[in-house]
Amino acid sequence: MILYLLRRMFLLAFVFIALSIFAFSLGYLFPGEPLQNFTGLRHISAEQLPLLQQEYRMEQGYIAQYLAYLGRIFSGNWALSFSSQQPLLQEMQMLMPATLELASYALLISFFIGIPIGIIAAIKPEGTLSKLISAVAVAGYSIPVFWWALLLIMLFSLALGWLPTAGRIGVLYEINHVTGFMLPDILLSGTAHRQEAMLNALRHLLLPTIVLATFPTTVMIRFTRDAMLDVWEQSYIKTARAKGLNRGQVLYRHALRNALLPVIRQIGLQFSTLITLAMITEVIFSWPGIGRWLIDSIYQRNYPAIQAGLLVISTLVITVNMLTEILHTVFNPLARKR
Amino acid sequence: MAKFRLLPDEQLARSPVRQLWREFSRHHSAVAGLLLFIIFFLLALMSPLISPHDPYLQNDTLLLLPPSWSEQGLVQYPFGTDDLGRDLFSRLLVGARYTFGIAIITVLGALIMGLLLGTLAGMSKGVKSSIFNHVLDLALTIPSLLLAIIIVAILGPGLQNTTWAIMLALLPQFVHGIRNAIAEQLNQDYVVAYRLDGANNWQVFSRIIMPNIWERLTLMATMALSTATLDIAALGFLGLGAQAPSAEWGAIIGDSLDLIYIAPVSVAVPGLLIFMAVLSVNLVGDGLRNAAKKRREN
Repeated sequence: MILYLLRRMFLLAFVFIALSIFAFSLGYLFPGEPLQNFTGLRHISAEQLPLLQQEYRMEQGYIAQYLAYLGRIFSGNWALSFSSQQPLLQEMQMLMPATLELASYALLISFFIGIPIGIIAAIKPEGTLSKLISAVAVAGYSIPVFWWALLLIMLFSLALGWLPTAGRIGVLYEINHVTGFMLPDILLSGTAHRQEAMLNALRHLLLPTIVLATFPTTVMIRFTRDAMLDVWEQSYIKTARAKGLNRGQVLYRHALRNALLPVIRQIGLQFSTLITLAMITEVIFSWPGIGRWLIDSIYQRNYPAIQAGLLVISTLVITVNMLTEILHTVFNPLARKR
Repeated sequence: MAKFRLLPDEQLARSPVRQLWREFSRHHSAVAGLLLFIIFFLLALMSPLISPHDPYLQNDTLLLLPPSWSEQGLVQYPFGTDDLGRDLFSRLLVGARYTFGIAIITVLGALIMGLLLGTLAGMSKGVKSSIFNHVLDLALTIPSLLLAIIIVAILGPGLQNTTWAIMLALLPQFVHGIRNAIAEQLNQDYVVAYRLDGANNWQVFSRIIMPNIWERLTLMATMALSTATLDIAALGFLGLGAQAPSAEWGAIIGDSLDLIYIAPVSVAVPGLLIFMAVLSVNLVGDGLRNAAKKRREN
């Protein structure tokens, strides 16, 4: 197990080095002056130029420049954003929680709805209910996320007027940025209208979460169903049945535990898809998260921001992936042998 | 009972493709998906011939014409016109060429490149393949749309750059899948037997590996096709892919977003088409997967 962890850590380090090299080389790949892309300064005056060149080691080779880049990444001295001329790290720290909040609620929904439905669909694979679930699942992961979002907006916001279309909370409420997660922040804030604020935030949250959760939930339904059907044909299930356990006991003690193992792994894979879908969802619902910020940065040709956003999002995705894989190995001794 | 039969089942005497089709055609949903897929494919090929109007012709006497089922609509313009007076129906027909046609080209390109790289990786052993694997693992963890967005950010927006970006973004999963499939085949006893007969690498590849993995290749391609269609449409919608005048479905939705109050049809119908196209690909993919599984079980 320790050996396995060490190997994973080694792989993780390797991946991060590769990723940082890629992010570094973007400074050269993007149009414009590399020094501007690295510093994020729009206009570099003649007096600043030699100082900056020395600090960024632009006179020396690529390796020295890369090491200087790594040093800046770890010391938190990131570049400035082209558009706002603010430090990028701080800017992203403000935006990240909004995305994580949205993504984690969607992920939770995909578990608590997707897995039970998947199990129900696996009970009678040829039954009407199972076929209906499968049909809905196929439709769910075929639907383009932006169109689905627009349909829901047209129905619930424009036609019925039930739910707001944009933002995280109504402009009337002033919630201080403590954790960055809206719901805990409301609980922590001392305003008198805490309950109304909570309701308002939930109403804002509802549509984006549903939109974002659609894809992972339907994938989860299908995945759980397939895993259950696979496990249900194994010989240890037959043994358990032969021992005299009833269906429920077999399901809980043998089938479920084995079928849910690959599902753990699915979290990591789902997470990366979720972040991408979150980017589109954020654009549509004007959700002030990192995805919308990154896409705005592309429109504005804000190269330092794209570079930093790529580094942060990929690091996040890879870390989550690696953690779920380790978790999977902890639960599944068979996976350790490889 | 004295009847002598060479094969236990007559079905097994048929070619694998026939067996596959037999299992495939049992599922109505899969056949319906295939039909839809063929329609979209033909549309992508011939849409300029059958579109009733020029999709780029701006008719300033007919701005924002409502669809023909409403009272102000004209029957010549089934879905009405957009804010520049272009016929929406013709634009949607031509859009099949952009969204669906380019998705097919992208997948084919990625498939060919993936086949090359995957074969090289699958046939080689040792440190080289280990490093290759790790690089692939990295690329696989970054989702295709994010990778495409990054590549578009480097190359700049545009349909051609989107095509390259999605092709590159799809590549890792192809290489990974093909490499695994080949490695699996190389472990089979019949490969060893064939090698003992004196077959070289190329013969093993073309006579044994290819016939055995094409089923998986097709499956991979259908999965990639649905991803590619969704990604092209999403990039077009975000304004990073196909640019304004072109009739890509996602771009049409993005363009008519500000008209969502006046002309909801111009948002609803292109989205429906994307949905149908992806659905058809997914249905075919699912049908193919089930059929392949059943065929192997028999």
